Amino acid sequence: MTTVHAAPARPRSGTRRAWLVVALVVLAAVAVVSVGVGAHAIAPAAVLRALFAPTGTGDDAVVRHIRAPRALLAVGVGAALGVAGVLVQTISRNPLAEPGILGVTTGAGFAITLGSAAGLTATGAGELMLAVAGSVLATVIVHAVGRGSPLRLVLTGVALSAVLSGVSLGTRLLLPDVFDAYRFWAVGSLAGREQSPMLLPLLAIGLALVGAVLLSRQLDAVALGETVARSLGANVVAIRAGALVLITVLAGAATAIAGPILFVGLIVPHLARRVAGGSVPWLVAYAAVLGPILLLVSDVGSRVLLPTGEVPVAFVTAFLGAPVLIWAVRRYGAAPL
Amino acid sequence: MTAVVLRRGRFSVRVERRTLVVTVVALVVIAGLILLGLCHGAVWASPAKVFAALTGGHGESAVVIRQWRLPRVLAAAVFGAALGAAGAIFQGLTRNPLGSPEVIGLDAGAYTGALVALTVLSGTSGQLVTGAVLGGLVAAAVVYLLSRSGGVFGLRLVVVGIAVNAMLTAVNSWIVLRADLEIAIAAVGWSAGSLNGIGWDDVGVPFAVIGVLLALLASRARSAQQADLGREVAIATGVGLDRLRLQLVFIGVGCTATVTAVAGPIAFIALAAPQIGRRLVAAPGVPVLPAALTGAVLLLATDLLAQVLLAPVSLPAGVVSTVVGGIYLIWLLARKVGRT
Amino acid sequence: MPVPTLARVTGALVLIVGLVAGCDSGAAEPAAPSGATRVFTADNGDITIPVAPKRVVATGYAVPALLEAGAPLVGISTWQRGLPMMSAKDRAAYDRLAKVAGESAAETNYEAIAQAEPDLIVIGVPKPVLADIDLDRLRAIAPVVALGPSLPSAWRDLSRKQADAAGALATFDTVRAAYVDKTKQLAAKYAGVLPKLKFAHLGAYGEVANGNFQREFNGSWGTNVAQDLGANYYGEVKVKGTGSKAVSEYPSIEELPSAFAAADVITYTVSADGSVPKGVRYVLDSELWKGLPAVKAGKIYPLRYTEAATYGSAMATADAADQALAPLLTS
Repeated sequence: MTTVHAAPARPRSGTRRAWLVVALVVLAAVAVVSVGVGAHAIAPAAVLRALFAPTGTGDDAVVRHIRAPRALLAVGVGAALGVAGVLVQTISRNPLAEPGILGVTTGAGFAITLGSAAGLTATGAGELMLAVAGSVLATVIVHAVGRGSPLRLVLTGVALSAVLSGVSLGTRLLLPDVFDAYRFWAVGSLAGREQSPMLLPLLAIGLALVGAVLLSRQLDAVALGETVARSLGANVVAIRAGALVLITVLAGAATAIAGPILFVGLIVPHLARRVAGGSVPWLVAYAAVLGPILLLVSDVGSRVLLPTGEVPVAFVTAFLGAPVLIWAVRRYGAAPL
Repeated sequence: MTAVVLRRGRFSVRVERRTLVVTVVALVVIAGLILLGLCHGAVWASPAKVFAALTGGHGESAVVIRQWRLPRVLAAAVFGAALGAAGAIFQGLTRNPLGSPEVIGLDAGAYTGALVALTVLSGTSGQLVTGAVLGGLVAAAVVYLLSRSGGVFGLRLVVVGIAVNAMLTAVNSWIVLRADLEIAIAAVGWSAGSLNGIGWDDVGVPFAVIGVLLALLASRARSAQQADLGREVAIATGVGLDRLRLQLVFIGVGCTATVTAVAGPIAFIALAAPQIGRRLVAAPGVPVLPAALTGAVLLLATDLLAQVLLAPVSLPAGVVSTVVGGIYLIWLLARKVGRT
Repeated sequence: MPVPTLARVTGALVLIVGLVAGCDSGAAEPAAPSGATRVFTADNGDITIPVAPKRVVATGYAVPALLEAGAPLVGISTWQRGLPMMSAKDRAAYDRLAKVAGESAAETNYEAIAQAEPDLIVIGVPKPVLADIDLDRLRAIAPVVALGPSLPSAWRDLSRKQADAAGALATFDTVRAAYVDKTKQLAAKYAGVLPKLKFAHLGAYGEVANGNFQREFNGSWGTNVAQDLGANYYGEVKVKGTGSKAVSEYPSIEELPSAFAAADVITYTVSADGSVPKGVRYVLDSELWKGLPAVKAGKIYPLRYTEAATYGSAMATADAADQALAPLLTS
């Protein structure tokens, strides 16, 4: 493995395995807390009863129909964004890239804006379909134009994002109703999603995560640069295309479920890199656990920060993630990939 | 060795000729757009009428042209150039095409300041401007201070900038979310950046500030280009790198903050103009002059387009410049793909 | 609380200075050549305006109010929100009039306003939005009166002031009298029923899409016309804000049972065409809604046209409320 020599202080495999187990335990603990905490106070015993022996009370309904699905969504969305972040930073070889850079988020927002101008967003399912269609379309265009080099990919993503967000901003400024609907979609949140059809996007995220694990070994080669990858016998173009499909599915499904939560896809790979070094398979594994932890913690925060109502989760992720990122870059410098 | 020098020499000559042509063409286009901007309005004025008005003609239409249209088109040209130059500075410093002044938190900070003025304070024009300038400068100072000490300057600046931006953007969306619909629309409209309603009172000081900053930039252009070529070259040629960087950041921030105070954050020009400009002149690095000229053309053209597109209702110029600049950048990128 | 006190003192001072200045200018200034003028108190101070303006430009909330009051309009901003509630006559006038601004105040087309040659400009946007408008440039064209909304139920006062400024009080008063007559009759019709019940309202304005619901109390959009019929929406906002936040709040869906537990009747906002908006649909479909006492008793009623901000459109609101609440008379 040439990669071992590429990254300087690469942790040993045993250490990485131990930390992953620790992270999984933390994830389980945070998930339990997130089901127990909310605007309506419910005793821990009642929470357990609601989960395992429901009797149909109002408290049971809160736990089973609102909090449990929400925790499940947080895990799915967090894992999707974290892993998508690892993939996008690997193929663009830019530690500042995040899934949104490929136009996924603005594509979804664009479709939502035009869709609600045309009156298509009245149902959760309609909104979901629009978000998926928009993100797929945007990524296809970005890939078609920017496939030549990582730099061009990033530039195309930024340019297309600008065009799409400009058109949708113009539309919104002309149509106040659309503006009103969009400003609530524009801040990502996990609240109130429990009635939307979640099965399909969660299934898509699950399959894409498996795909990411399978692809991660080949990506390890690509991360070393195209020439090295070719000499190792990797089909760079095919691997990159595969990664783009996975990023679109992961980030598209996550955005469709929760709206734009930009920061998770950027910060989670950076955090994962502290433990996993540059190995893509380990990065994927860590991102798939750290992403949900970050999102679950943020979601709990979003419920308890205000006396009435909630803070959108995207707000909390920004305020949790940003200081960590600043600390990391000051402590370790901007990590090369 | 001589071959290398010759080749580099020939290379630089070719670049200069092309730069010259691009400069002349851009200046002609700018002049044409300014004239068009003076003619266009609720009532079309013929070029003859415009000249009469500029040379001291009387009557209502002359006043409209001199007092309302002239400051607006001049502001578009000057502000566009300032934004393009600021973008070139930052992209050169950070060696990252994403390193527009936005990255240092200026726009997001200015938006936060404006939002506070609109929603928390009573929202007079004075508060709006003060809030925007203060917010932008504080955000930029925080980003600069956090990314200052040691390490790779460019990348660290961008990472810290992204982090601070993420927080400010979250705050901004949150305020917009909680505001009443009318105030939210007004705030978002402001954030798009607009040249509407700009008069002579608004542009006097900004023009002077931008003029001084751009003159300062011109005097630093040579060393800046050397710094752009790389740290080793810069040290070898005796450029005081850290001092130069600080000066450049100061110029870039000054230009952007001045424009933002008057017109709101017209964001995308600083990102697109340098990239378009360097492709037009086919130069290495991110040259400032083509970026400034491209910025002026971009803002002039899009401000006109913003007024014509849905007349009599107009869009914020920032919205249109984002779309037009983005499409052009994509086209440039796509053309290159087709060739290779 | 130093700030409100200071604000009040300043307000008083401004008022006094304004009055003195008003008297002064009234005495000293010769009458304008085009006709008589008077001093009008608006959000932007005391403004000298024509007593009987002939050419008025209106923006924002002033658009539906002045259309309805039959003011001599020569230019308006677009007002998409109000279109579903406009009468056919007002709608025709709206379509015919020159548009001088879009929905966003920053894009006010000053040249188009100047071209309309108004003798009065009535701006109906909330006060903070004024910062986005070049008032000096507008003042160079004609006197500018800014009258913006504050509390949701304050449209009554606001539309009257706007009509007053535009010299169109006569038509305004006729429409208002019709509304007052209608609601008085309806209040009498429901006198034996409504005052005894505890009402609660589920709104559709603002932050309703993110797992929240909007609860509106007395004086809010969804409740103010039903109040004229005699309904009383019990309770009040937990943390008082300003403007709409003083009369409505956005609790988490988890608090639905505790919020509406004591309500005998729940009304909820529906769109002008009768369809249920997304945020309201979310609450109606939730498991927690089905357990509420008022829902179990079948006492839930949709209210249309709750966004009415003029007396003319509020007539439709009152009719719709009458229709919706009629079952309460028989039960």
